[in-house]
Amino acid sequence: MSLANETFRSILAQPESCFPLELGKRNSEIGKLLRASLTTQWNPATIIDWDGMDLRPFTQEQRQALRVRWSRRAWGEYGAIAESPALQIRFCHERLDTDTRLYFAIRTQEESRHAEVSYRLAEKFGGFIDGPAEEYRGSVSTHGIRRQALDADFPVECTMAALVCSAEQIILENFMHVAKLTIQPDIHRVYQMILRDEARHCAFGWYFMASRIPQLNAAEKNRVGEAVATMIEQVELNGYQLAWLAPDSPASRAQIDSDRILWQGGLGASTEELEKPVFLASLRRIRDRMDSEWGILLPKFFHPKTGEI
Amino acid sequence: MTHEALTRVPRETRFPLNLAVTIPAIDRLYEESKRDIWAPATDVDWASGELAAVTEAQLQAARQVWSRRAWLEYTGIAETPALLLRFCLERDREVDAKYFLTVRNTEEAQLVDVFHGYAELLGGYLVRPVDPAWEAVINRRCHSDALNPEVPLDAYVAAHCALEDGLELELFRAYLANAREPLARKLLARSVADKTRHAGFGWSYLEWRADSLSPSARSEVLLALVDWLCKVAFSGYHVPSLATVIDSAPEQRAQEMTAAAGLGAATATQEEQLFRDYLATARRRLQALGIELPAVSHRRLGPL
Repeated sequence: MSLANETFRSILAQPESCFPLELGKRNSEIGKLLRASLTTQWNPATIIDWDGMDLRPFTQEQRQALRVRWSRRAWGEYGAIAESPALQIRFCHERLDTDTRLYFAIRTQEESRHAEVSYRLAEKFGGFIDGPAEEYRGSVSTHGIRRQALDADFPVECTMAALVCSAEQIILENFMHVAKLTIQPDIHRVYQMILRDEARHCAFGWYFMASRIPQLNAAEKNRVGEAVATMIEQVELNGYQLAWLAPDSPASRAQIDSDRILWQGGLGASTEELEKPVFLASLRRIRDRMDSEWGILLPKFFHPKTGEI
Repeated sequence: MTHEALTRVPRETRFPLNLAVTIPAIDRLYEESKRDIWAPATDVDWASGELAAVTEAQLQAARQVWSRRAWLEYTGIAETPALLLRFCLERDREVDAKYFLTVRNTEEAQLVDVFHGYAELLGGYLVRPVDPAWEAVINRRCHSDALNPEVPLDAYVAAHCALEDGLELELFRAYLANAREPLARKLLARSVADKTRHAGFGWSYLEWRADSLSPSARSEVLLALVDWLCKVAFSGYHVPSLATVIDSAPEQRAQEMTAAAGLGAATATQEEQLFRDYLATARRRLQALGIELPAVSHRRLGPL
């Protein structure tokens, strides 16, 4: 087998029985999300008339920028296929309510269609790029979610709060901002479709946490706060989603330049100047909400490009 | 920390990332799944069940059969994400398979929901088998095997996605063929549509990989197939009457009554014949791929 292994105290090694298999225990809010997901499915293969799409209005520079942008999106979306399904195994292990266990199945399918549509767009505009430049790889390669989800010593609430209520909430609000700036109809449509799914993903995280927070003691809440802070400091502020937050390198500069080209053409990207206030507002909202709804106070964050947040 | 408490989980090398279609047959299944969308809450008229003429005894039998169906389907809720992770962890595994597994899991979630819903209509879903001995048989922890680096992925797919899912498809076709109650028919027709793709995935993947399997990988596949037959199929997991260490008479009676009432089941005799026929077909199919599945002996039925 062509694999290196990592060893930790995993839920996979723990005794487990699915019985009694309670399927009637539901979470009505998450159940609504499940039904909404099932009834509003869309297909990347048909959401755009791929063969009829006229590329002539796009300059060579714009095509290259789109190729870079959507390759990067595909890498990120692929991470949700390659890592987040571990959470579903965890939900089953912890015998959570049926809606939580079933919802996550379609949530993963939604991530796969985001990866697929991103790949198709990158291909359309010149070809999918199969990976980031070496010096940029650390910013976009992993959140470590798979390991966390399978780690018996890492509470699932920490993973959900950090991944969904923080990282995904930030990208949702960034996408809403970028969608407003996008005038090219096909790209705008793709953003709308992804946004619709991602809004449910975030809602799921907050509903999930609302059902779990009352059961956590002070120490457990502290761990949730630490996990969120780690996600923001080591992943978000390292440029996982926003290239201008990544450590300066030729690759991150190229990404920033290409996003500017797209922003100028209304082709589905933004710039540091415009994204920064959106990002800061997102972080403040997340902080306020975690404080008011969960009683968890996040620390101040710092990044050279933003100062103290 | 004890050795038993440790689990080795493979590390991922994500890049270079290939997202191009590699296995056209599986890409077609994925595309078909994306088009064949439905939702149990809106596309199933749960008031359309015609159960007034069904006796209380038949209802009791059928709720056992459909509850068991929900338990078995539920296995996929953790197994499929584990298998998806495994495909992502292994280098150069095909994206078609990964995408397909994401839709397969949605379909499994829907089927769990409908099997549970129909069992409720029949008088109430049961949260566990009446005979606790069945719990060990059904509680297979496939998700752990799927993520176990010592279980070769191709062998896992051959046993669980090709051989096993193919049997499941044939069983559901038989349940559908025996179903007269309109709602049961509708739910089973949906199940057959999904399970046709699930079995198609397993066999297509095995066919895709067969030529590139080394002799040792081929031996691993063979071992996994025989192991599955002896430990899973013969335990009565899918066909309860094949169990030799658990008394399956109550399950067989429930199947019989459910089938007679037209509520979507096959009798033990029908299932055993179907199992033999399917095994013969699967053996020929494997042979065409250069995999010679030997006869495997069942304690009651002899060599199969």
